[in-house]
Amino acid sequence: MVDLIDRQISAEIVIACRSGDRDAFRSLYDLYKDRVYSIALYFLHGDQAAASDVTQQVFLKLMTSIGDFRGDAEFSTWLYRLVVNACMDAGRRRKSDAVTTDRSHLEMLAGPASQEQDYARAQMANSVRAAVSALPPKFRIAVLLRYFDDLSYEQMAKALHCSMGTVASRLSRGHRMLADRLKGLKYG
Amino acid sequence: MDEREILDHLPKVKAPDAIWTSIEAALNDHRSPARRPWLWAFASVAVLALLAVGYWSVRHRAGEWIETDSKSRTTLRIGEIGFVEIEPGTRVRVVTEQPGEHRLALAHGEIRATISAPPKLFFVDTASGTAIDLGCEYTLSDDELGLGLLHVTKGWVSFQWKGLESLVPAGASCRTHPKIGPGIPYFDDASQRLKDALENLGVEKSAEDPLEVILAEARVRDTLTLWHLLQRVPVGDRARVYDRIAFLTPVPDGVSREKALKLDPETLRLWKDELAWKW
Repeated sequence: MVDLIDRQISAEIVIACRSGDRDAFRSLYDLYKDRVYSIALYFLHGDQAAASDVTQQVFLKLMTSIGDFRGDAEFSTWLYRLVVNACMDAGRRRKSDAVTTDRSHLEMLAGPASQEQDYARAQMANSVRAAVSALPPKFRIAVLLRYFDDLSYEQMAKALHCSMGTVASRLSRGHRMLADRLKGLKYG
Repeated sequence: MDEREILDHLPKVKAPDAIWTSIEAALNDHRSPARRPWLWAFASVAVLALLAVGYWSVRHRAGEWIETDSKSRTTLRIGEIGFVEIEPGTRVRVVTEQPGEHRLALAHGEIRATISAPPKLFFVDTASGTAIDLGCEYTLSDDELGLGLLHVTKGWVSFQWKGLESLVPAGASCRTHPKIGPGIPYFDDASQRLKDALENLGVEKSAEDPLEVILAEARVRDTLTLWHLLQRVPVGDRARVYDRIAFLTPVPDGVSREKALKLDPETLRLWKDELAWKW
């Protein structure tokens, strides 16, 4: 699916963006905005204002630096590199990030009662979001990139500025931590 | 629970429409700081406060000196990105006043800066170096001899002098010295013994080894101090500092003892990024 989307990001669109074509930029934005926002939102513990901020920064940076995109890498890899940098910077600015997880923010992400009437399922969803939120930042961002865009290890390595081995290790350890935290939880 | 089940509980969330509005506004005026309409509701009180400040504050031109006597204070508006309160007995010069760079020079006295803007738009030169705003609120004072104190209350400030840098987060302070530059930052809630020992570093006749005291007193949070200290102590003492940080908090992947002791910039950056979550 990612490859398909990347193929759709044709040279024409990139060239149009470089020349300041607002419509072309809007197409790029529409294609990726929800994924970028979702990654930022879950990375930043459900803080919607901070996630909006990161999303805005990413796309502004994208627009102002699209001239640096040479087309020898996949567009999404380049975009997610911007996402990783923006999320990590925003996380650092959130002083309380390392020590607290704001469950109220995370619970707001749950759907309304009509969509998640099953209490046990809603509890489960909150537990999963809290568990993801409690992961150390490097594991959290790796897990989110993997979940939201199913990037290959090679693409993730480029986005995360690390080796494929490190990516594999972070995903494996991240998932193990999630599994440990969620051990014993079953659908009601 | 497998990966697929976890994914089911992390649904994709629709990005608010207001983000595009903000992006468009920023693109239309790309030199202005981006607007955040989703914060309007929350920021209304702050806006009113800023308007109140703006009513009394004055715009100044580059090259202009501003001086307050021992009883007066004034507020200086910094473009559209914030304001600086100038305390009594202060002398400040406006060096640059442009959308891409707002720069003051603090001759002596005290200023309180409140800046809401992307990093590196607001600078304050002092006799000991330059305070570079990374999106923050802080107090900076400098006496007639150029001895200064930076105290950050929100965000981060980078204080630089001739390639030497101290990164100071909220809740931390840093002394500054002419011809030496920024000192080692410390959290305000660090023990008094640690703070006193920092003052005594480099003093030859101390009753006890200041480095020993700092290492003994350091908490996890004080790795802020230790990370800076690693780069400032004599080569022979680096291992002691490294070992103390490693004892307080696990060393992350990509940081090796050997490279850290050689002060490899990439290793130090990686380590700082990881430690900063605890600062």
